[in-house]
Amino acid sequence: MAEYEQHDHDHIEHDHMTIPKYIGIFLVLVVGTILTYFAATVDLDFIFPGANTLVALLIAFTKMTCVMLFFMHVYWSPRMIWLSAVASFFWLAIMFSYTMQDYLTRDPGVFSP
Amino acid sequence: MSSHSETGKFHYHEPGLQHQFEDMGQQEESVSIGMWMFLVQEIMFFGGLFTAYLVFRSKYPMAFAAGSNHLDAFWGGLNTLVLIVSSLTMALTVYYAQKSNRNMQVIMILLTMAFGATFLGVKTIEYRDKFNHGLVPVQGWNKRIKAETNAEHETKPCWEVDHNAPAIEHPNPRGEFQWTDCSLVKKAQDEGYLTNAEKIGYFSNGEIDANKFRDKVRIFYYLYFVMTGLHALHMIVGLALMTWLLIVAWRGSFSEDYYMPVEMSGLYWHFVDIVWIFLFPLLYLLGRHFMHGG
Amino acid sequence: MQDAITAEYSGPPKLNYLNNGFTLKSWLLTKDHKRIAIMYLITVSLFFMAGGLYASAIRLELLTPASDLLQTGTYNKVFTQHGILMIFFFLIPSIPAVLGNFILPIMIGAKDLALPRINLLSLYIYWVGGAFTVWALLQGGVDTGWTFYTPYSTTFSNTYVMAVGLGIFINGFSSILTGLNFIVTVHTMRAPGMTWFRLPLFVWAQYATSLVMILGTPVIAITVLLLAIERFARVGIFDPTIGGDPILFQHMFWFYSHPAVYIMILPGMGVISELISNFSRKKIFGYEFIAFSSIAIAVFGFLVWGHHMFVSGQSVYAGLVFSFLTMVVAVPSAIKMFNWTATMYKGSISYDTPMLYGIGFMGLFLIGGLTGLFLGAIGLTVHLTDTYFVVAHFHYVMVGGQVIAYLGGIHYWWPKMTGKMYSEFWGKISAMLVFVGFNLTFFPQFILGYMGMPRRYSYPPEFQVLNIFSTAGASVLGVGLILPLIYLTQSLISGKAAGDNPWMLPGLEWRTSSPPPTENFDVMPVVTWEAYEFGEESGLDLEGARANESVRTV
Repeated sequence: MAEYEQHDHDHIEHDHMTIPKYIGIFLVLVVGTILTYFAATVDLDFIFPGANTLVALLIAFTKMTCVMLFFMHVYWSPRMIWLSAVASFFWLAIMFSYTMQDYLTRDPGVFSP
Repeated sequence: MSSHSETGKFHYHEPGLQHQFEDMGQQEESVSIGMWMFLVQEIMFFGGLFTAYLVFRSKYPMAFAAGSNHLDAFWGGLNTLVLIVSSLTMALTVYYAQKSNRNMQVIMILLTMAFGATFLGVKTIEYRDKFNHGLVPVQGWNKRIKAETNAEHETKPCWEVDHNAPAIEHPNPRGEFQWTDCSLVKKAQDEGYLTNAEKIGYFSNGEIDANKFRDKVRIFYYLYFVMTGLHALHMIVGLALMTWLLIVAWRGSFSEDYYMPVEMSGLYWHFVDIVWIFLFPLLYLLGRHFMHGG
Repeated sequence: MQDAITAEYSGPPKLNYLNNGFTLKSWLLTKDHKRIAIMYLITVSLFFMAGGLYASAIRLELLTPASDLLQTGTYNKVFTQHGILMIFFFLIPSIPAVLGNFILPIMIGAKDLALPRINLLSLYIYWVGGAFTVWALLQGGVDTGWTFYTPYSTTFSNTYVMAVGLGIFINGFSSILTGLNFIVTVHTMRAPGMTWFRLPLFVWAQYATSLVMILGTPVIAITVLLLAIERFARVGIFDPTIGGDPILFQHMFWFYSHPAVYIMILPGMGVISELISNFSRKKIFGYEFIAFSSIAIAVFGFLVWGHHMFVSGQSVYAGLVFSFLTMVVAVPSAIKMFNWTATMYKGSISYDTPMLYGIGFMGLFLIGGLTGLFLGAIGLTVHLTDTYFVVAHFHYVMVGGQVIAYLGGIHYWWPKMTGKMYSEFWGKISAMLVFVGFNLTFFPQFILGYMGMPRRYSYPPEFQVLNIFSTAGASVLGVGLILPLIYLTQSLISGKAAGDNPWMLPGLEWRTSSPPPTENFDVMPVVTWEAYEFGEESGLDLEGARANESVRTV
């Protein structure tokens, strides 16, 4: 009959995280913060211009993923929650990329030296 | 949920179950999806600001770097750590609620609130600092400093102002946004990586124009204040939520069987933390690497 | 279930959502989605009338090329306020908040929306936002156009931009909360047996609309907030003279406001899917295609906003991309049109009032949609931008599409909402008047626009003849729109009882009493039939009931 798989669990499962695991994730976040700071002080422009920002964003994404998966329990959540998390970033990407496709093509070479 | 499908009759309601639901599972599922949908709209809400940030930063990277270097990365970094700790205590609140441990819940909520308040306190220190140094982008909202009649003012070109020196108080009788240092423009000009928008946006008649550069830095500070301001507003809402949670947890209402309010407030709190995780590098650290030998 | 349709109920009047409490408090603090929908219906109608008054003022002024009835400044305010009231306070909330609120939980067999208190909150936010806006309009109004383009709105206009902007900001959260509620409800509140592919297409359309509301509305909120801050702080993010970028405002504004067009039209398409299938008494053709085309419109609708900015300084490359995607977004709408047509083919069509609106929608939306393609073509649009061609195009979509679908839906579900039947005669008359009046009003505007009549200001005298046609049509349209107000109100007082299933349809909403009880169903329904099932599989003897009905009426 109907799809009831989404209702099957009476309570969202909650026995996956233990205090040591929470502390572990927390330490990852602290290390990430410190890493962000020191990565920002090193001039990475010799790789390509804007490399610093890319590194900073990569670390931020990692930290965000940790918070979402483990602190917000997305890892053990139904598919709908995964989907809404992914969808919101997809729509952000639409907003960023479609706005920038205008700005970046208006006068060529905005990002080039 | 499948239990009622055989009988086709409405069920006896458990206490705490709202009238429109059949069982607690359905209620928890609904509340959880609802909260996530709310977070999706929050992400898009901040997304608009990040779009503005992206557009202006790609147009005026040097103005953004200069403005960013004037923010205090120490306070910003400290606040990041404070928020991460508060996220941990929030996660532990949910953990103890699931374990029906009332005392630890109350302690963890109090800790979360303390760290949240610390964050706002640090933010206040930073905002006051900006106010004192004429960095609030609204005319009249800065500290008014009368011009001293016999004081000597610097007449150096703006790109020779040493941005590593402690900020000098300039006369600011009308409380305007002030910016004197355009050394980064000079540096970018010498090393040849000004963007096309910058070549128009910072120069008048081929010379660096301090006023035009100031306008671009002001856009950075505007975004800084709107983004951190809205974030702080979310923190205040979060603290209000925590106060309510504290009262309910104090009464010992949350247990293994009923902890959705804690879990949902936790989602909100973590979301606010995530926003800051992005704001910190994008606002405080983006021009740090230009500070070497600048 | 079998006899739900034929059983005669005698005895004291059944307890339903309307006679279950008469105090003001029982309305204002209700958590019942049906009562909230009724309160929305009343408010939305008031805003529609206010917007209609502004429209009449515009049409009267345009009767002559000289500015005689309204001075230039007043005229700017009048068309701005017409747009703001109609778009933000009528078109966006009308179908979701009135029809969706009322009928969606019943259609899926739920007792209420999943979050009834949030639903009530959304109504209050709508009232607060509306009151704020009306107050600002009474104080002196705005003259920026409903689009609030910068830098005029931030730097030059000295009207109440901030106040109206904040009204719209507040109102946005009402629409977000409604969308949020619908998504949760569709996910968790479906009755046993109501699978995703048994959902009526109206529910699919509402679901897609809700996605757009949640993903788009926050962006207009932040845009309007930035606009308001810019206005008092003069920071210059939208002011080109000090390094700002007015095009950024347009990007952010249209990121919401183009998808908002789909917030307006998608629920209308949902209503039409119901009407076409049910009044053709035939299972809808291509159910999955219509369902997924709603979702496709919701997604692709976010990729085309740049077609509002072809001539405002956007790069040529971006224009090309947006133009191409505009053509793509027409495909799912076309899929719907073809499927509706195929549904009607060899159907047993009955020309009741709702169906007249349904057929009217198909014609008018076809014209509105196709002229949208003209405007999306990057070359032709240079000629047509800011002419009456644009005005005609979006009125064909908004009035010819959304308003007509809304009226069709109101007539279709009126017996369920009130338990009373309106006068079918006057209903048909008014549907005809609306159709004729609408075409007479807006078709001349296509010609005018193509010939070059500009939008938003006066026109040269040689365009006057067609403008007179248009104003004449507007008065016919006005009569057509006032009539339902009269005969629907009259039906409340002296209309004959409608019965639970006046149209002899299989949908879940027709299997409960009219008006429905507070918790919608006396017994939790178990769905064993597909959507739009008219045969024996529906579990009802619809043909038999229909035969009896015809014997009775003849």
